[in-house]
Order: sequence, then C-alpha cells, then structure tokens
Amino acid sequence: MSLVGCSHLQLYKKNPKNKESFKWIHAVFVVGISNKCRKTRICNSYCRVCKKRGPYLHACLECVFFGCMKHIREHAKTHKHTLTMDLIYGQIHCNLCGDYIYDSDMENIMKENKMQSGTFRKRLFESTSWYPTQEERSHLTSKTKKICITPESTIGLRGLINLGATCFMNCIVQALMHTPLLRDYFLTECHKCKGKPETCIVCEISELFQEFYRGATVPLALDHLLHLIWMHAKYLADYKQHDAHEFLVATLDVLHHHYLESMPPPKSSNGNVDEKCPCIIDKIFTGGLQKDVVCQICNGVSTTVDPISNFSLDVSPITSDGEQPSLIDCLEHYTRVELLDDDDKIMCSKCQSLQTSTLQQTIKTLPIVASFHLKRFQYSEKVEKIEKISTSITFPEMLDMTPFIGRAKKESPFPSDNRYTLFAVINHLGNSMNEGHYIAYVRQQQDFWYKCDDHVITRANLEEVLNSEGYLLFYHKHVLSYE
Amino acid sequence: MSSESKISLHLDVNNGMDRVTELVQTRLIECGWRDQVRLACRKALTENNDKKVPTVDELIAAVTPKARGMVPDSVKKELLHELELILVNVDRAGYAKHF
Repeated sequence: MSLVGCSHLQLYKKNPKNKESFKWIHAVFVVGISNKCRKTRICNSYCRVCKKRGPYLHACLECVFFGCMKHIREHAKTHKHTLTMDLIYGQIHCNLCGDYIYDSDMENIMKENKMQSGTFRKRLFESTSWYPTQEERSHLTSKTKKICITPESTIGLRGLINLGATCFMNCIVQALMHTPLLRDYFLTECHKCKGKPETCIVCEISELFQEFYRGATVPLALDHLLHLIWMHAKYLADYKQHDAHEFLVATLDVLHHHYLESMPPPKSSNGNVDEKCPCIIDKIFTGGLQKDVVCQICNGVSTTVDPISNFSLDVSPITSDGEQPSLIDCLEHYTRVELLDDDDKIMCSKCQSLQTSTLQQTIKTLPIVASFHLKRFQYSEKVEKIEKISTSITFPEMLDMTPFIGRAKKESPFPSDNRYTLFAVINHLGNSMNEGHYIAYVRQQQDFWYKCDDHVITRANLEEVLNSEGYLLFYHKHVLSYE
Repeated sequence: MSSESKISLHLDVNNGMDRVTELVQTRLIECGWRDQVRLACRKALTENNDKKVPTVDELIAAVTPKARGMVPDSVKKELLHELELILVNVDRAGYAKHF
C-alpha cells in the first residue's frame, strides 16, 4: 500500500537536501542511533520558548527550532513554516493541512533509521501494521471455513495411538500440547528452522501443534516423533515401558539442543553467546535454583545457582499435624534447611577444612511452567528393588510459590504475583515402574478438564483431577513478568 | 537553573529518561492501558457527529484527560520509585560532572 502525503510535503520532498536533513533529524532525535548523537539529542531536546522538554516536543523541518506542542504550532503560524516533526514517533505534521500526514517515502526513510536503533527502541517501533503477502491474501480469500471456538469446543483434543507401551510418550505430548505459552508460540509459527529438514524435532512438534488444533478428531500415531527421539536419546530406543518423567526430561533436553542448532542464538556484542538461552523451551520451563551452604563455624555463605526445569519432590515429607501431606508440604520439605554433619560435612573455603554446614535450596527465578515430579519410584533396601510409593499427596488448583522463592526477591518493594494454575496432571496406574499405564488429565479452555488415555479422550472434572494420585504436575504462571 | 530542568537534565545524561520511558511504556502496554486508550480513540472517532474528521491534535485534546485518569496507581508508584533510584544514584555518582 502506498501512502502519499499532502501537496505541501510533496513540494518539500522535491528538494533532495530537505530529505537529507529530515533523515538526519529523525536519526538523531527520534531514533538516537549512536552515542555520539546522544549528546546532541540531549543538549537540544527542549522547547526554545518555554525551555521545557515536552510535552510532545517537535522539530521544525524548515529552520532550526524545537518546540513543545503549544509553541511549535505558534512557531509554524508566525513564521509561516509548514512542516514539523514530532520527536517521539517521528510523525510529520503539516500546519497548512492542520494535521499529521503519512507518506510512504518518508516512512521508508524512517524505517531505515529504525533498523539501526537499539533493542528497546526497536520494540517501540515494532508495532507496524500488517500487510498480507500475495500468498496470505489468497489464503484469506480461498479458505473461508470458519470455526467458532466456544467454551465447549473440543478443538485441541486429539487421541494418540499406543504404539506398544508408548503411553509414557503420549501423556507427555498431551501435556506439552496443552501448555498455553508453548501452543501460542507454535501456532504463531515462531519457529523458523534453519536446520536440516525432516530431522528437526522442533519442526515435528510444530507440525504436531498444527495437527492437534486443526479440528480433526481421528487419533494420531506419533511414529515420526518417536523415531526422532530414539535417534537423539538412544537409551529410550526399545519397546519397554519407560518412565514418563525420564521422557519429559529427555524431550525438553533434545528440544533445547535442537533449538540451538536450528536457530543459533545471536552473538552478543562482546562475542560471547548470551548466558541465558533464548530458546522457547528454556524461556518457558527453566528457572533458577539457588543453593546456599552456610558453614556453622565461620558463618561463611557459599551460593550457587543452577538452572532447573523440573522439581523432583520427595513424597514422604513429615507433616506436623499428621494430616495428609500436600504439595505445599513437599515443597517446604524441598526448601528446608538441611544440616550436613558427620559424613556429609562440606569443605568450607574460608576455614579451609571440612565443617558442619547447613544447606538450603530456594527458587531464585521461577519458570513460567513449573512441573513437579513426585518421586513415587524409589529404591527400597528392604526388597532390593524399585518400589512405588502410593502415598496420596493433595495438590491445589491454584498454587502460590511466594514462600519458596529466595529472600532478595521477596523483599523487593513491588510484590510480584507468583500464583500458578494447574493445567495438566500425569498419573501412573499400576504397582511398579516397569509395568502399568500412564494417563494424562489436561485442561482445555480454562475450566474444562479431559482425561487422555491413549486414543480415548473423555470429559473429566476438576474434582476428579485433584483426587487423582498425581505423578507429574504441571502448573502455569498466572502473570508473566518482564524480561 | 530551576530544579525541574535540573532533574530533567539529570535524567537525560544518565540515560535515565530512556530507562523511565521504557519502564512506563512497557507497563502501560502490559496492563492493557494502551488498548483502552486505543478503544477510547476509536470511540471518540465513531461517535463524532461533526462532518469533519477530527485532527490528531483534537483527538489528543479530547482523549488525554480520560487516558491520564486510566493510568493505574501501581504504575505511578513504580515510576516514582524508579525516578527516586535514578536521581539518588546520579547524585552519588556525580554523572553531571563528566558531561
């Protein structure tokens, strides 16, 4: 689409010198491209009449003059200057027409300048309009089928065929497919693959999302995905029953690595790759776990922070009141202060010897999706094999993680909202690790729950979900924080 | 120099203005203020009974008081806190001297 501004601007554009000076003013005062310009910008960005820096500072395009909204209009009137530019967004105002004008030529000049600006400014300017390409336009005209999404709609629910003890995979896929942020990421086609076609597992997940949300109801077979995972995580490559938790960890890990391969992170200015991984998997699933070791002799604290994408919780915490243990109890147990004595003494760097210490884990940064693994399979010395602990653990629909985050965050003046909502639960049915069956409960459209048992999907309700045993619990953060 | 212009200079030299603008912009977008203002502008345009389409200046004049009122208190509070932080640090580090 081509926009042509008013006749006064056309006249102004005829002189190439005018265009040059427009470009310069825009680069320095609107975009602020280089640091050298900064000084010029700062020293001159004030109204020449009232000496204030706003509101709506404009620059005259016909002489050297800056003015706030009120004084620039006065200036244009008295000096009979027509064109001025606002210095926040770079819009051109024509005094003869009495309004702002839009012109494709000038917008192109501005676009060029904006491309060179820093990240924040870029973000400000990003909200440009969408001009559909020819291809998109033909899609819009030819694909006219409308799907109405009601609260009752079942779009997004697909049964998954069991390919021979693959229910551990099916239920993890169900949980991933119903992770709101991951779904939004893939349905908006944010993954632009630069890797080898047919081998990228991220592309496979991307296609799965399309398949899940296109409205069909025939159960899917995940043979291709299984093949890809087998290729990348060899230890899963057999027809045995595997642990769903193990599969989740492996999948996230493979996805994370494929991300780095297929969309290499841009190198930062000093040549190093940024520490925080930009991939969507890390952004959604990875938080930071802080471990503080305090030496009981010298009170020296040594702190380490590790990335964590899955909280493995002991299922036999001691409850003070003898009631049924809850997820909160497990988390309290997880973040308790542990005394390391006798054989567990730790080397203190200050005392230069083994000392009795305390260890405490707290959550430094919360992930967007917190997944909890209840350690139901534990090696029992009595029977010398892995046993399943079926202790029932209650878990809430809404979880506040504030008590479990590090102190520094807690004391910041702006209370952060650390509430999470349950959106998927994976259960193990059976008595031992090597047998049994996995099923998943997933949340759809906020309030509807469905039970996914391989290819059979049935309506469930929250009560049923909360009363189930629980093996893997997936919680999604309510409020997303800023980066 | 008046204290007002002194403050605004301080904010500029320490890149504080950019920091503050970024903060406020982000918060206003995130809390939905921008969408509300957009809707208010739309409403003003569609309900406009004059034959002439209002200019941007007229639109700004009409919507600004309402838009100001819609800024959430939490954003104002955070802005104040951020400004305080920047100004205290400027005083301590004496950035203005290098300028």
